[in-house]
Amino acid sequence: MNSGDGLIWNFKLVSHNMLDGFGGIGEGMSMQLAKDGRRILWLAHESAPKNFTAVDVTDPKNPKIVARQDLPTSHMRSNSLETVGDILAVAYQTQQPGQQPAGVELFDISTPENPRRISFFDRSGPHSRGVHQLWFTDGKTIHMSSGAADFTPTHPKDDQFYQAIDVSNPSKPQEIGRWWLPGQMQGDNEAPPKRHPAENDSGFRPHNTNVYPERPDRVYMGYLDGGLITLDISDQAHPQMVARWDYHPPNPGFTHTVVPFFERDLLIVSDESTRNDGADWPKLVWIVDNRAEDNPVPIATCPMPPLDVFSRRGGRFGAHNLWENLPKEGCYKSDQVVFGTFFNGGLRAYDLANPYQPKEIAYFTPDVPNAPTGACQLNDVFIDDRGIVYTVDRHIGGLYILEMDF
Amino acid sequence: MTDDNRASPAALFAGSNASRFGRRQRRPRGSRIPVTIVTGFLGAGKTMLIRNLLGRPEGANTAVIVNEYGEVGIDDALLRASSDATVLLGNGCMCCLMRSDLQETMRALFSDRARGAVPNFERVIIETSGLADPGPVLQTFASDRALGEEFHLQALIAVVDAPSGARNLASAPEAEHQVALADRIVLTKSDLVAIDEVDRLTEQLRALTAAPIEKAMGGRIDPAYLLDERLDLPARIGHMHDHSHHDHDHDHAHSQGIDSFTLILPDALPWPVFEQAMAVLTSLRGADLLRVKGLVSVEGCRGPVVVHAVQHVAHRPIELEAWPDGDRRSRLVFITRNLGRDIVEPLFTAVTAIVRG
Repeated sequence: MNSGDGLIWNFKLVSHNMLDGFGGIGEGMSMQLAKDGRRILWLAHESAPKNFTAVDVTDPKNPKIVARQDLPTSHMRSNSLETVGDILAVAYQTQQPGQQPAGVELFDISTPENPRRISFFDRSGPHSRGVHQLWFTDGKTIHMSSGAADFTPTHPKDDQFYQAIDVSNPSKPQEIGRWWLPGQMQGDNEAPPKRHPAENDSGFRPHNTNVYPERPDRVYMGYLDGGLITLDISDQAHPQMVARWDYHPPNPGFTHTVVPFFERDLLIVSDESTRNDGADWPKLVWIVDNRAEDNPVPIATCPMPPLDVFSRRGGRFGAHNLWENLPKEGCYKSDQVVFGTFFNGGLRAYDLANPYQPKEIAYFTPDVPNAPTGACQLNDVFIDDRGIVYTVDRHIGGLYILEMDF
Repeated sequence: MTDDNRASPAALFAGSNASRFGRRQRRPRGSRIPVTIVTGFLGAGKTMLIRNLLGRPEGANTAVIVNEYGEVGIDDALLRASSDATVLLGNGCMCCLMRSDLQETMRALFSDRARGAVPNFERVIIETSGLADPGPVLQTFASDRALGEEFHLQALIAVVDAPSGARNLASAPEAEHQVALADRIVLTKSDLVAIDEVDRLTEQLRALTAAPIEKAMGGRIDPAYLLDERLDLPARIGHMHDHSHHDHDHDHAHSQGIDSFTLILPDALPWPVFEQAMAVLTSLRGADLLRVKGLVSVEGCRGPVVVHAVQHVAHRPIELEAWPDGDRRSRLVFITRNLGRDIVEPLFTAVTAIVRG
């Protein structure tokens, strides 16, 4: 084990892997149940030079790296990925609009050690940075946040919007639907969205674009400075907005993820902290009453550790990714417990038996030796159907594998 | 589900998979911090027992609460003082002086831990003063309004020393209470007296309790005996020998009216049966209901429901994800005063008949 346990409560650290010094992981974590019985965890790196790393976690005590790829250029990143069966989809985003490659690359991973390119779906353009995030769980459709060659935003930060692409023939992906916030594109009849104050102006564009089999006609989006947006995609070619909950200002923006707990009529919504030392506090996990779908009502937030302590630990402090109950084989499902990563606040779990009073029941904030910001920056979380919890550090800490103990 | 439950916020957003008792838990403590209370008369060897445990790997990351620092003998292990009330020990442990009351002390400990102001302790051990009746302390952990929301009483350990145990039991009602209410008994200094004296003391203890009894040698005992949560209820029931609700031979007790017995109920109960039978007992004889704990098989529940009551105070019931073993019968340990099985068992039978109509 390469690091101390740090602060740990009701999780047990099973193993830790620094990923050979490439321990900065983004927000793509996906488990492949390989045909030979192995469980392969695919991880998207936060930034160049690495594209993705595949780790055999069949034995969580002994994770083994089985594949790793470099990015073709240093001005891009592969922040997000997903697997379905033996297909891996990776999102490519460039640093500046107009750069390449920007889009989605599909790989055949039937032999995890040797990912083979199937196709590349180009989303580059004069105003596009490509794809920031993708959702791919049914093997047919990728729902994503992306720019496009034919899209000219009213503000450069608003270049990405919702797109659906049909990959049922993975050799020939095809766009089948798109939606953007009215006013986001030049030529729209509506006025452009009102900018947030400069220090918190992150843009109006989707982050996560979640679609679940319980409601295949809905997309649940965190739309950054635009808040929560639910889309009706019963007509995939013509999505319609069903609901929007915009709580900024006064809050500082960057709505990130929306996870529906369908049977409980709840939405779990996370913000992303993007500034160090608590400068953009509060970045929260919200519990939202979704009984009236067109009028989502916030009813609680998950309690956070004390700001005065954690804002001094170094790096970002605040919400980021949630465990999204990925509707795939091999994934853990719960509408009783919320799991989230909070950068230097680590990984945290909340009992949601009473949705008006989420209760913290577990946390894990590892000590990361030589962390550039002085503290861990836990970025994302994945949970498999064995109840094994995987979390990653954004900078150097790598992969932490835990058991729940609550 | 009763109308009351339907009106609760938890039920409002319950979903089809919800338990009426909140999130199903893997174990009785759920996510709460486990607490072990060590009780016993002055000179019984509580301090030695705790000090030995703190030095073992299994005892790492323990917060000990004492009335006086001298009791744990921390002087040689002192590393640095983090505050007036807390002293850091080796092995990730810390020692905390009891403030004006236990609740205040433990609340401060909990919030200091969340702030990172004290080490990230995994458990708490409370050393009570020798003369204390453990009843009030148990009550504190039986209520969410007090400490039951954050802390879980894992075990009450009574330390009895062989040379003076018999005398204390005979002369001090607190000593009897300590033994009667305990989940586990530790017998110390048995090497200082003759074997038949140890046997006589053991018999005396057996008359008061069905809890397991283990000997500590030089203050040393298997740490699991003090800390392992799996030893909690099944071990206790296992020690009763008898699993038949018709067999009364193994009821214990009876010194100064203290009684301890186990009810085994073979069929799953509608929850109102347990609720109402306990309501009758607590409202009419709460003061004599020294402790009730067990697993209840409740109709409509997947796992057993953990119950724990101390006199008038009952902790919120908790449904477990699964039964600990193949036995699916309700098992309830009663520790009472002048309230025997002959009264309690027919009460449950009658309420069952009333509820079932």
